[in-house]
Amino acid sequence: MAQDTTAVGSVKKKSYTKNTFEGNYIIDNQTVMVPIKGTLEFDIQHRFGSTEKGTQDLFGIFASANMMLGASYVPIKDLQIGFGATNERMQVDVNIKYAILKQTKDGSMPVSVTYFGNMAADTRKKDNTTLFVTTSDRFSYFYQLIVARKISEKLSVQVSPSISHFNNLEGYLNDAGQVMPILKNDNVSIAASGRYKISDGTAIIANYDQPITQNPANNPHPNISFGIEMKTSGHDFEIFFGNYSSLIPQNNNVYNQNDFKKRQFLIGFNISRLWNF
Amino acid sequence: MKINLILTAAVLATGVASVAFTIDQQPKPWPVPDKNAKMPNTVKSNGESIAAGKALWNMHCSSCHGKTGLGDGSKSAQLKTQPQDLSKAALQSQSDGSLAFKISEGRDDMPSFKKKIPDQEDIWNLVNFVRTLKK
Repeated sequence: MAQDTTAVGSVKKKSYTKNTFEGNYIIDNQTVMVPIKGTLEFDIQHRFGSTEKGTQDLFGIFASANMMLGASYVPIKDLQIGFGATNERMQVDVNIKYAILKQTKDGSMPVSVTYFGNMAADTRKKDNTTLFVTTSDRFSYFYQLIVARKISEKLSVQVSPSISHFNNLEGYLNDAGQVMPILKNDNVSIAASGRYKISDGTAIIANYDQPITQNPANNPHPNISFGIEMKTSGHDFEIFFGNYSSLIPQNNNVYNQNDFKKRQFLIGFNISRLWNF
Repeated sequence: MKINLILTAAVLATGVASVAFTIDQQPKPWPVPDKNAKMPNTVKSNGESIAAGKALWNMHCSSCHGKTGLGDGSKSAQLKTQPQDLSKAALQSQSDGSLAFKISEGRDDMPSFKKKIPDQEDIWNLVNFVRTLKK
């Protein structure tokens, strides 16, 4: 070491584990991370069409895509607020993320726990194809608790149980003329996600999402996704394969009909640009 | 006669250009307040600290300063100021406090990392890693 190094001993204060994940997203899920106070993030996300048609539509890249533009900001320590807009049913959402517990380096707190919630609104015009009777019929909600552990410098995992709620869902008329539900208004799901770093700026990422609630019909399918994440000082970029095609989590957890057993995968990417104020 | 004049002009132009180039290579003085220069490094330099510093280096610094601090990062050619060779005495003879101040505050092409690396412990980890670049 250099002669003028003037270290005087280890820092004694409580030290939290850093960088459990690289950014806010791990494919289709939120990570446990809440960026440092003053971080402004701008997100661009794409989910292309299914790869089933092969070269006919260049593995879904030239098929119709779901897109989202979003932004988030951390006004006070451990609390993030955000909003987004997607072309899928012209939905907009506002969201909140709060770091409840943080893993410590000394092991006194073995996990980090974060809450994520959103409220989304379907902003399409009211017509014969939509189901809106009142304004509240447009709204859906998502509540998630994320529990994560950084196991080593390279490996981090998280488990995220969630509830998705839709105020109004499509039904059908039975033989007696009664309105019967196809899907339940509340759907419980659980996701498991992991990251393995292969260098300081690059990681392999994976998700598994399992819907739990049994619906009368059209049960959503689970999601397997995996990809690669590249992080720089001001950007976070993820490209991946998976089954989920929506960019609002409750849509995936309730409506996903892509089935990995039928090889209904699609390509997606998430780009985040970060500024610190 | 004409050839002599051209030769003389060429020699003079080369001389002026080389002086100008030499001047351009001299780093602009970067004064550090005494209080900061004398600030003690509160993080002991050990494997854990250097590894943490290296991760920060690769994330925030290496694109300009290069993997080993030679100033040959992929973005260095686009900068107005050529990043210094951090392995040499000109940098390594500076105190930990001076390096921490420069990382935190930034100047010209070098951005301030006060907001991106808000924890002083991480700044010291980075300083501890920069010490390992010495040749």
